Amino acid sequence: MNQVDTSPNAIANVNLRQVGKNKPRNDAPTKVYGKAIYAGDFYLEDMLFAKVLHSDRACANIKSVDTSAAKALAGVHSVLTADDLPATNAVMTDMPGQVGGGTKNTKQPILAKECVRFHGEPIALVAAESYELAQQALELIVVDYEETEGVYDAFEAQEPGSPIVYGDDNIVAAYKIRKGDIEKGFAEADYILENTFSSQYQEQAFLEPEAAVAWLDEHDILNIRSSTQVVEHFRAVADALGLPHNRVHLQAPYVGGGFGGKEVMTIEVWLALLAMDTKRPVKLIQTRENSFISHGPRHPFTFTHKTGVTKDGKITAMKIKATSDAGAYAKLSPYILLYATVGATGPYRVDNLWIDSTSAATNNLPTCAYRGFGTMQANTACEAQMEELAKLIGMDSLELRRKNFIQTGDPNTTGQIIRSSVWSDQCATKALEALGDRPENADHLVYGHGLACYQQSYGRIRWMKDTSESWVGLEMDGTLIVRCAVTDIGAGQMSALAQIAGEVLGVPMGEVTVYFGDGHVNPLAGTSTASRALYMTGKATELAAVNVRDNLLECMAEYFGVSAGELDLGDSKVFVLDNPERCMSTKEMAKHCAAQGVHRHSLEIYRAPPSEGLDPETGQGEVFPDFTYGAHAAKVSVDIDTGEVTVIKSVGAHDVGQSINLRAVEGQIEGSALMGQGFALSEELILEKGVLKNGSFSEYLIPTSEDVPEIESIVLESRSGLGPFGSKGIGEPVFAPVAASIVNAVADAIGTRIHDLPLTPEKVLAAVNAKQTQEAAE
Amino acid sequence: MLPPFELSQPQTLPEALRALAEDGGQPLAGGTNLFPDLRSGREKGDQFVSLALVEGLRYIKHTEQRITLGSGTTMSDIVHDPKMETAAPALAAAAKIFAGTMVRTAATIGGNVCCGSPSADTVPPLLTLAADVTLSSASGERTVPLDEFYTDYKKTVMKPDELLTSVSWAPPAPGSAHLFYKLARRKGDAITVTGVSVMIAADAGKCTTARVALGSVAPTVFRAHEAEDLLVGQALTPDLIEQAAKAAAHQCSPIDDIRATADYRLQTAHALTRRLITQAWKQVA
Repeated sequence: MNQVDTSPNAIANVNLRQVGKNKPRNDAPTKVYGKAIYAGDFYLEDMLFAKVLHSDRACANIKSVDTSAAKALAGVHSVLTADDLPATNAVMTDMPGQVGGGTKNTKQPILAKECVRFHGEPIALVAAESYELAQQALELIVVDYEETEGVYDAFEAQEPGSPIVYGDDNIVAAYKIRKGDIEKGFAEADYILENTFSSQYQEQAFLEPEAAVAWLDEHDILNIRSSTQVVEHFRAVADALGLPHNRVHLQAPYVGGGFGGKEVMTIEVWLALLAMDTKRPVKLIQTRENSFISHGPRHPFTFTHKTGVTKDGKITAMKIKATSDAGAYAKLSPYILLYATVGATGPYRVDNLWIDSTSAATNNLPTCAYRGFGTMQANTACEAQMEELAKLIGMDSLELRRKNFIQTGDPNTTGQIIRSSVWSDQCATKALEALGDRPENADHLVYGHGLACYQQSYGRIRWMKDTSESWVGLEMDGTLIVRCAVTDIGAGQMSALAQIAGEVLGVPMGEVTVYFGDGHVNPLAGTSTASRALYMTGKATELAAVNVRDNLLECMAEYFGVSAGELDLGDSKVFVLDNPERCMSTKEMAKHCAAQGVHRHSLEIYRAPPSEGLDPETGQGEVFPDFTYGAHAAKVSVDIDTGEVTVIKSVGAHDVGQSINLRAVEGQIEGSALMGQGFALSEELILEKGVLKNGSFSEYLIPTSEDVPEIESIVLESRSGLGPFGSKGIGEPVFAPVAASIVNAVADAIGTRIHDLPLTPEKVLAAVNAKQTQEAAE
Repeated sequence: MLPPFELSQPQTLPEALRALAEDGGQPLAGGTNLFPDLRSGREKGDQFVSLALVEGLRYIKHTEQRITLGSGTTMSDIVHDPKMETAAPALAAAAKIFAGTMVRTAATIGGNVCCGSPSADTVPPLLTLAADVTLSSASGERTVPLDEFYTDYKKTVMKPDELLTSVSWAPPAPGSAHLFYKLARRKGDAITVTGVSVMIAADAGKCTTARVALGSVAPTVFRAHEAEDLLVGQALTPDLIEQAAKAAAHQCSPIDDIRATADYRLQTAHALTRRLITQAWKQVA
């Protein structure tokens, strides 16, 4: 289903030829035919193969590392430990990309030296003639550990006397929001409800594990071809090795999924070190087992919500405490905590607000970016609390939401005024309608409907002054080229740029060539993270294409003897709007303009709106460029004998501003329906004293094809976003409400709520039994 | 990584049996359990006898007296055999939800039975069929009731030089009900948390056959004989079914593991046994 705002105030109320249509993506054929070359498919002559020795314990001193036997093995060319590295032994783990500052400069040792702080921390690197030899060498390395007392709980880590993992007090980051008068707000409430909600580790589980090849070329430039969301990691590699930035060339081919797990650097710096040491190309594809411990999973969070509400359903006050487990290193935890803090109130206006949030270090896996980036966890807790509030005051939960939805022009959590359209109500209404009737309970099966709304940012934190660049050029023969170093991580980033440039210049997207993912040949575009790729790189591409269009039309206006405004480009020609018979093919136009010396290329930069940060006492200020709003609804059945939950129908309804490729939007909604279902029901990394116990796909349970429900995508277009043609970011937003909707549906089905995720059959059965016991007692 | 190993690839049964007896290799069937276990270090071994090329192990034979599966029959062979729906309805159901498509294409009935895992999904349905297994060695052949095959966790009566060559059973009585339920933490590609199979037949309002088998709730898959004894010769009432379910649960000795607690396994073994007997009785009565 697709609905477009045709009201006069829609900013891009124009007739679009390709944008917003359901189009096969430009990257589809090469992927379908298996021709696309991923990082791990790349071979070079004399290539060596790498293996990494990961710590098998979470907290221990390293008394010694003996690599002599490994080095003596024939066919082994390099064995590196911390002693072989530059003295700094540090790699940047902070916000990467085209950010202009405002970061916290978080770092991590490249290889563990005196101690290991988490299960999986790298200790040694090996390069050998084959993976088998490298593996044999790994097994010959003797690490003498001395286990030490660690801390494995984010609350215990904040207690006095706790072992210290990070800084002086294990506090990685903390934020405060103080807004309105919290005491007055609670005094005005008819009801006050307090609940604590917690959520688990989630693994990105991308199809393609970390993979890269590094080599020195004939100019002694260090080349890395890697599966990454961020080509700008060339800077961090160069800094870690003490090289000038312009001596490291990092390319990203097509990437088999990232979801945040390839935002902070993964394996590139290891391969760079081995390639420098051996002067030979070195390749590594992480095994799935090692992939689980090579990037940061989603942060477990605990939220305590105390909410005041009137009997009419108006929220009068919210007091929220949020705590996340950062694991052993900071990585992006400070920013993820900020997102969770801003997102703690969901899509609701709360004038009397008090939030304290803390991220604490432990000896657990370092947690990091994952689709939703803290907002999703915060939203899941908030939407559970909204349902419980509705139940408490006896009001329909959508009605309660309607009374509190933030609206355009309202201030959000940090006092930022929302400028774009907010279609929460329309989205929620349509999503719920699409669920249809609730089946009658039968035998052991009970049914439930669940709804969740959200507010999720797109684009980077504003004080980081994010930018993106793109180049658009019309060739002599009228074909179109886009050069933009956006990484294509599978969501159609490259194809969208073809569609945008093609729309502006009247060329079918399939005929546009996009050079992407190589930041030393193409203009740097920043990361494919933060739901910013389409917004930022699309906007830069649109601006560049418009420049080229302006130049061409100025020349063609003279040719046709009309003003430029009387001309349009479409269907591979230029034509007079009032008299389309008067036209010229794009090919002829390119030739004509070239003869006139017209500048047919343009390099443009798009700068996200900046801000100067938050007031540290009140937490007030502008954090994000803009937000996306929408809803997800789920119909579930629960087997009350076993606690098994089956998702029957899953409906996403979102205002995407303007869809660029409708098919790609639906792909995002469908994928997120399953990723959120996994989070709600089955996915959970299990750690015992920091050691991962289920690092395999037989024990870490992502939904399979057999678990797929009926999924419906409802796409609404307010054309009010900051992206090209009024689009908003959607990669993370469409995911934000999914788990909450399923959790709410289960609560609806069984008549009681489970406060810690995931909802395993065992937890569901315990809740069903507890409710029956309680009812029997009453 | 998978550790290195020697692999022999005999083409006939005698060759295979000789390799098992003389070279001391372990049999390798579909490998869908063995390879992940070797890779993770849970299983050791550096000498394997592949059964992939051995002729005459992959067949399904239906006669009026007996249904026989060669041990090389894959899960997808069972899924795609149209007669299996009546020859062994619960086995057909178990094969359909066995792991995922790729595993079903490789995994064999012989491998699933021999691995001795308490969560082996074909075993509860085979036990409620009262199936026999045929064990062959260079020195001969013997037939063992499946109910007497398992001795302990991943232990069987099979000798190192023996190979399971077929599984067979008598066709279920007309009008009987043969059911299987797999409780797992997701719908596809999951390891069973609690598995239950029942076979119920009735005549003149009385239960004539009652077989109940439970998986993943003890060191081996087992027949709940006490429960069965309560049912045979009776008209099944909810009370009696509850008593039988209780008796079945009483025979369980589950453990806590990464998938579920022992307590949850006990509760669900009880509830699912009750549910399946109730459903089966409804079908036959």
